Amino acid sequence: MKNRTLFSVCPDAEFFGRTREIGAILERAKGLRRIPNVFLAGKRWTGKTEVLRRVHRELFWSQARVVPVYYQFKGAVDAEAFAEDYLKEFIKQYLAFRKREPDLVRNETSLERLEKLLFDEDAFGLLDFTLIHREAKRSGDKTAVLRNALGAMELMTRRTGTPVYLMLDDIGSPSHTVERELAASLNAGSFPFIAASSTRAFLEGGFLSSSVEQMTLGGLDPDTSVAMMAELCRSHDIGFDTEMLSLAAMKLGGNPMYMKSIVWAAHREGRDLKDLKSFVELYSGEVFEGNIAFALQSSLRLKNPSELRMLCALMGAPGGGAIPGEELRERFRLSESEFSKTASSLFAEGLAEYALGSVKWAGDAVTADFVSYMFETRIKGRSADEARTAFAREALKEGFIARGARVQGRLREDAASALKSFNGQKLVKILFRNQAFSSMNRGGATRPGERKDSEEVVVPETIGSFESTRWEKGETGPPIIIAHGFANGRYDAGNEVVWITAVKDTPSPVNIGDVENFLRRSQILKENFRTTRIVRWFVGRDGFTAEAQKRLDGEGAFSSDTVQLNLIRDSLEDASVSERLKREDNALPLKEFEVILPASTKAELVAVKAVEEIGTEMGFGDNAIGQIKAALVEACINAFEHSKVKAGKVFLRFVAGGDRLTIHVQNGGVDFDSPAGLVATAETEALPRKRGWGFELMKGLMDEVRLERISGGARIVLVKYLIKKGETGGREA
Amino acid sequence: MAGRHRHRETGTSVVVYADNYINDIEGEKLEEMCDAFLAKGFKKIVIDFSGTDLVNSIGVSILIGIIEKIKGKGAVVFSGLKDVNFQIFHIVGLTRHIRVFNNEEDALKGSASCDGASL
Repeated sequence: MKNRTLFSVCPDAEFFGRTREIGAILERAKGLRRIPNVFLAGKRWTGKTEVLRRVHRELFWSQARVVPVYYQFKGAVDAEAFAEDYLKEFIKQYLAFRKREPDLVRNETSLERLEKLLFDEDAFGLLDFTLIHREAKRSGDKTAVLRNALGAMELMTRRTGTPVYLMLDDIGSPSHTVERELAASLNAGSFPFIAASSTRAFLEGGFLSSSVEQMTLGGLDPDTSVAMMAELCRSHDIGFDTEMLSLAAMKLGGNPMYMKSIVWAAHREGRDLKDLKSFVELYSGEVFEGNIAFALQSSLRLKNPSELRMLCALMGAPGGGAIPGEELRERFRLSESEFSKTASSLFAEGLAEYALGSVKWAGDAVTADFVSYMFETRIKGRSADEARTAFAREALKEGFIARGARVQGRLREDAASALKSFNGQKLVKILFRNQAFSSMNRGGATRPGERKDSEEVVVPETIGSFESTRWEKGETGPPIIIAHGFANGRYDAGNEVVWITAVKDTPSPVNIGDVENFLRRSQILKENFRTTRIVRWFVGRDGFTAEAQKRLDGEGAFSSDTVQLNLIRDSLEDASVSERLKREDNALPLKEFEVILPASTKAELVAVKAVEEIGTEMGFGDNAIGQIKAALVEACINAFEHSKVKAGKVFLRFVAGGDRLTIHVQNGGVDFDSPAGLVATAETEALPRKRGWGFELMKGLMDEVRLERISGGARIVLVKYLIKKGETGGREA
Repeated sequence: MAGRHRHRETGTSVVVYADNYINDIEGEKLEEMCDAFLAKGFKKIVIDFSGTDLVNSIGVSILIGIIEKIKGKGAVVFSGLKDVNFQIFHIVGLTRHIRVFNNEEDALKGSASCDGASL
């Protein structure tokens, strides 16, 4: 059987999440989005390479309209060597795609062999490029060598009418010449591209002028992270406790490489992941001396003590805030050029960010622990054992604190991520008006045509955000995020905007005291910015008291709860969500139905019958009803399986809204299976895994699937919108 | 052999008609039937889902097991899938490993040219 492998990827069973990102990139590759170009940002080992290679594989095997070309930058090489490598890769992959010959992608080939192959295949169009390359090289014209390689895709696109989809991996910070010429070839706009990097150097280098949408690849979400660790533990016969895995996943930031390393370490050492002490020991072993340490050491290239010292200072900045460059220079007695050199090196490594004259730590928590360990052992001269013991002591204490407050921090990250995604989009205003949003969801007061909240808020193009800690020493109250941006696509003082956003991430609604605190602090913060426009936004995990809503509305400040924030994030990613929310029939009252299922064979079919009736009455088509039924069956089976009591019941609540059906499935049990998030659409030789498809099916069949942790267990929430989504085809006649 | 699923034999091929709801119980019955037909020497098995409204994840896992078992010994193809069931098989990646036909006749014709190499 033909080996269909292209670029190496990890086994499907070890690849979790990223379905959404891969889908979004594929849509852009196929020209289904207005802005096709993407800058894929993400810290090291968050899976950028894996995502790009899976996109490449999908494009290679599943369509013929776009030629996928993947190129991974290979560190510092001169412009000529880069050009030859780049050209070879393009030609190899172009030919491979045309001939459906994966060997060509996989195997290294010399230019001579490639030329012979092109000649044999009568591929004279491609052969031209190698001949020009040789000629330019022979005459020592490095610019011509580079331009020929970088211009090949554009020329082939023009000649054949078939666009290339270019995937640039680890773009980092190429040499000045390569960066300039590469940007010029991308700016020509002949073909769409995606560039992935753990730093923003290329994006901010000043050469790239084409429209690029930024996509951030963070760690896997908590549920997917736990599911991934659990699946890996099962496959390696490692005992685990879900709560412990949840804590571990949080500590590891959902980073797939870190999580795999910890599980493999547990396997190697014959340990389990059932208690905090085991985890802390495995963690410190891996991060200080194990595989994670090795990976960090080889990739970070920290060259001198100044870098380590500066990093430790940044990591210790109050509230994770920024430190002015001037202060750092003075503290470490660095000349301007020394400071600039050190800071540039840290920016290039993705360990620090620079904004408004201040420097901020930008690495993840694991890297922070590694850097601290290096600092303790190399600078302070502590022994490895002493540093490790001190770490374990603190981590154990911190771990127990984290156990009590593990939900905290997520809302702040979500709000910060939403602010960072602002890119001039139009969002429906009701998402920023909690009072109106709450009254709509209570089935209230509005009628189609009467609602003014279908008005839109045009968000600015955000250029950076940070926490207000530096300006607010000694202040108490919810953390505030400050985001800078420009409105109307114009970068002048008149269009500068600052969003001051408070986030209350505690299980109680925002009250009038919180609001007064926010209004006072934002008034003080406002003095720091010479901008014409300030927007104030309060995000509260558990909503707002009526008094707080009224005060914020009266002040013209925005207010959003978790549901609104999730919708904002969805709308920022997908304009159709906002369009859907604008539909006036959203305001129609809700109807609710409740069904209690006993634990008996095929009890889920009772739920199926109920949802069939409700769905038909709401106007869902047969296929959508079929999808809801199948997803509901999965949710019920999951609920029964995880019921605490053997004969436990499952409680269902169907909420029929104007534009959606929401189903809550809850048991009296401990937990549901978490989403595995496995991408199964890619071409693989092996048959799919047999188990653990429940969540994946729910996600694929419904528009939204959420796993909500509630007191005494968990609840699955399934949402289907009345607007139909695209369906998959592909059966044979 | 569990005989509750209907079937139709034609030469070295056999069409097995799946139940309305493929869960663990019905999936296992299908599996037993396929095992029995293979043992009898049938080379091609068409599983017809035209009467199937729902397939749950446990049913899916059993179907994957069936395909795994038949691999190398014969060929199995699906027919008559409702859209939602096709989508389910697509999500789990089964449609890349198995040929899916609109109806059993097409499947028999298609599977007739199939000697198991498609698996």
